[in-house]
Amino acid sequence: MTLWELAEASARILRKHFEEYEVIVGNEEEIMLKLANGEPSVTQSWNRYTITVYVAKNGKIFQTSLSSTSPGEVLEKLDTILATLTPSPLYAPLPEPTGQNYENTDDKIVEIVRSGDLSKVSEDLELDQAGNWAGTIRLAREERVLVNSNKASLHGEKTLFNGYMRVFADDESSGQWSWTSTMYRPDIAKKAIGAAARLAEECSGLPKRKIESGNYNVLLSPMVAGNLLEIVARSASGGAMLFGFSFFNKEDLEATVASEKLTLYDKPHDRELPGYSQFDDEGVATRDKPIIEKGVLKNILHNSKTAKLFGTKTTGNAGLLMPEPFNLDVAPGGLKDDEMLEALGDGLYITNNWYTRFQNYPEGLFSTVARDAVIIVEGGKPVGCAGRVRIADSMKRLLSNIEGVGATLWQIQWWEVSTPTRLPHILVSNARITSE
Amino acid sequence: MFKQLILKPEELTPLVDKALALGASYGEAAFHRVKGFQIILMNGSPITASYTLSEGVRVRVIAGGSLGFSSTDSLEKRDIITAVEKAVKHAKTTASIVSKGIEMSDERLGRARYEASARKDPEDHGGEDLFKLAVELYKSIDLSRYKVNINSFLLGLSYSIEEKSIATSDGGLIESRIPRLEVFYTITASSEGNRANRWQQIGGSGGLELIDELGVTQAIEDDLRSLELYLRTAKSPPRGRMDVVLGSEIVGLAMHESIGHPSEADRVLGREAAQAGLSYRRRIRPGEKIGSDLVTVIDDPTIPGSYGFYLYDDEAVPARPRYLILRGVLNEYLHNRETAAIMGTHSNGSARAEEWWSEPIIRMANTYMAPGDYSLEELIEDVKDGVYIKKYMEWNIDDYRWVARYVGFEAYKIKNGRLEEPVRNPALEVNTREFFSSIDAVGSDLRFYAGTCGKGEPAQGVPVWMGGPSIRLRGVVIK
Repeated sequence: MTLWELAEASARILRKHFEEYEVIVGNEEEIMLKLANGEPSVTQSWNRYTITVYVAKNGKIFQTSLSSTSPGEVLEKLDTILATLTPSPLYAPLPEPTGQNYENTDDKIVEIVRSGDLSKVSEDLELDQAGNWAGTIRLAREERVLVNSNKASLHGEKTLFNGYMRVFADDESSGQWSWTSTMYRPDIAKKAIGAAARLAEECSGLPKRKIESGNYNVLLSPMVAGNLLEIVARSASGGAMLFGFSFFNKEDLEATVASEKLTLYDKPHDRELPGYSQFDDEGVATRDKPIIEKGVLKNILHNSKTAKLFGTKTTGNAGLLMPEPFNLDVAPGGLKDDEMLEALGDGLYITNNWYTRFQNYPEGLFSTVARDAVIIVEGGKPVGCAGRVRIADSMKRLLSNIEGVGATLWQIQWWEVSTPTRLPHILVSNARITSE
Repeated sequence: MFKQLILKPEELTPLVDKALALGASYGEAAFHRVKGFQIILMNGSPITASYTLSEGVRVRVIAGGSLGFSSTDSLEKRDIITAVEKAVKHAKTTASIVSKGIEMSDERLGRARYEASARKDPEDHGGEDLFKLAVELYKSIDLSRYKVNINSFLLGLSYSIEEKSIATSDGGLIESRIPRLEVFYTITASSEGNRANRWQQIGGSGGLELIDELGVTQAIEDDLRSLELYLRTAKSPPRGRMDVVLGSEIVGLAMHESIGHPSEADRVLGREAAQAGLSYRRRIRPGEKIGSDLVTVIDDPTIPGSYGFYLYDDEAVPARPRYLILRGVLNEYLHNRETAAIMGTHSNGSARAEEWWSEPIIRMANTYMAPGDYSLEELIEDVKDGVYIKKYMEWNIDDYRWVARYVGFEAYKIKNGRLEEPVRNPALEVNTREFFSSIDAVGSDLRFYAGTCGKGEPAQGVPVWMGGPSIRLRGVVIK
């Protein structure tokens, strides 16, 4: 059964019971190689079908998510379930389906995924020469069909190639970097692995030093800045504001929320990044837009439901429940690679992080733990490698203290940065750092 | 709600036979279904309800000493056979660059069927019952009793039923069914110009009866009282080195983060190095002292009614309590059959997969510190100057699991053995050895807290309990 046939078969059942419905049918074919200790630890592949159904009647809404190719029994009973609910304050009529079909695929990726054979990837990335590497390499083809009661009939297909590698010079000296693209790009994968290896080597060659807790100027690698700015972008979602997971609120629109050095876009039309899409989960046309422009919050991300509650229009960022960004893109600044440490002066170059957690979302109080190389910089020169420090600060304060933005852009997506993001290094002054 | 057929373990045996025929030395096939219903209320009104069904077949093989995995949610025979062929192909493709072949440890594998019982089995109750329960739960909370503005109150109630059939090429045949219930909430409130939120997850294996048994109403009311204290009366905490009493909520989390994760043998061996990281247990070995004699930490999947309950793992190995720290001394790792074979021991039944698309990897189940005999009052009365941290919101730990940070949400200053004013955001940052070594008294008030533990790539979230009694730490640093 094709995705169209599956979507139509589902829609036929829903049409009997509901005037308002939507069906999104997806298929993902994916292969992933996982490495540890310089060798493959497992190769995994998936072929998944997902059916997401949304129905509404008298202001009541219900969703169903099925990883199944025979949804009939469930769909026939949705009407009975819906009858038991009361109207949802989030309900809004499905919007006009203005989205377009799209195709953004790389035949090389499709061929590798379908063959189930990663020999070529292994050869292109010279995995037989791997030192003490750990990481993953992932290739996928994703297809989806959206039909709804507003006569939306949309199809999208794309591919992706992404991964990350952690390179160890020794147990205490490592670097980690990632890459992402809709195209098969061994060049950016090798560049990312090279960046990780250079950090590991650099840290290994420097004396290990403990630092004291205090305020430091910090240079954040694209891995770290990507993690923090993804949280910023998700906090700019109307859903996050409604549900209490944001340090922004609706009054912040058009207000200064960051340093004027920061411009952060949501770019669903960027063909190079895997979040590419011409329609959102309500069938609405997506569009590129600034979230923060020169420090000013320019857009709150909406679907039709959050837009209704905010008294505005959808931005084409549905999520059936939560509006979300597609691809993030940070406008480059003027700091060239060889100028960054000099611009940092005295401070810390934090190259990777994880475990970002909030003490208080509304006030933006959080901490995140550095991992891999944390390079101590004095007078613009690396002088030591520190242990695992934390940034423990307020997100609002951190955004205001952005002092510089790099010129070289990297395409990042990994465990801690789920939204594909293109961004440079970012320099922040006076960040609060804690150390054991 | 919807009762579907399940593929029996015996029906999976031909798949592992097929894998062996294609050249695999080990084969394992599983049918795995998770289905559930969820309702989310915002300020008492349902914003969304959903039904989810996720089912499929996974196949894992060893061929040429290399591991291959493939899965599909199509239950068509040809698609499942394709998954078997792909898994073998994946393994063979990388076999040439694997220097040391993967093996599975020899085990007495289970041939059994079991299920967790539920007095009010979710499958016998429709969405209507869950919706009514959620609304009743919300209405049972008298928000007017608390002197804060509730900006939003998100309350979710969900149940899931996890059904699995597993067959291995060396004779394991397991069928299981585990119903679970989960409540989660996020309350955002403001008062006196301050804003804050509190989220919580409560869950166990069983049925709808757990809403009463797990004390959900009381937990929400207690958190509202905590928010009131945090927003209206809490002051800056004392800072520096001092004695600290920790409540069971933080102790449970610390057992999960500071000894549970680092005891996972796949982390110790570097298999998760690029994701969840490594472990201090690479250099501090079993038999070495890590804490005071009062510290015993157990991970036990067999606790009835627990969120992390199971009796056989996803490699068909019988589950048992695992003693991670025994009277202050590092003890066993958490093993699956791959890591047990590498370390020349036996698996202790720690392999779990989240769903049909997930490879079984080493996971915790219900990790807790064994209780002592102190009451909370006794823990506090012997502290001259210190802090009692009852609840937390922010926490994290480095990827070697060595330095953790817990920031108090409900916390109090202690002066001359008595609780004084509430304090806001005291941050305990402490390394694992110092944490376990500074414990000089352990309470009797063992409690468990539910969580969803993340690990692996693609990331897998599995239900766990984290537990502990209140404890006293001497001379640690509050920042």
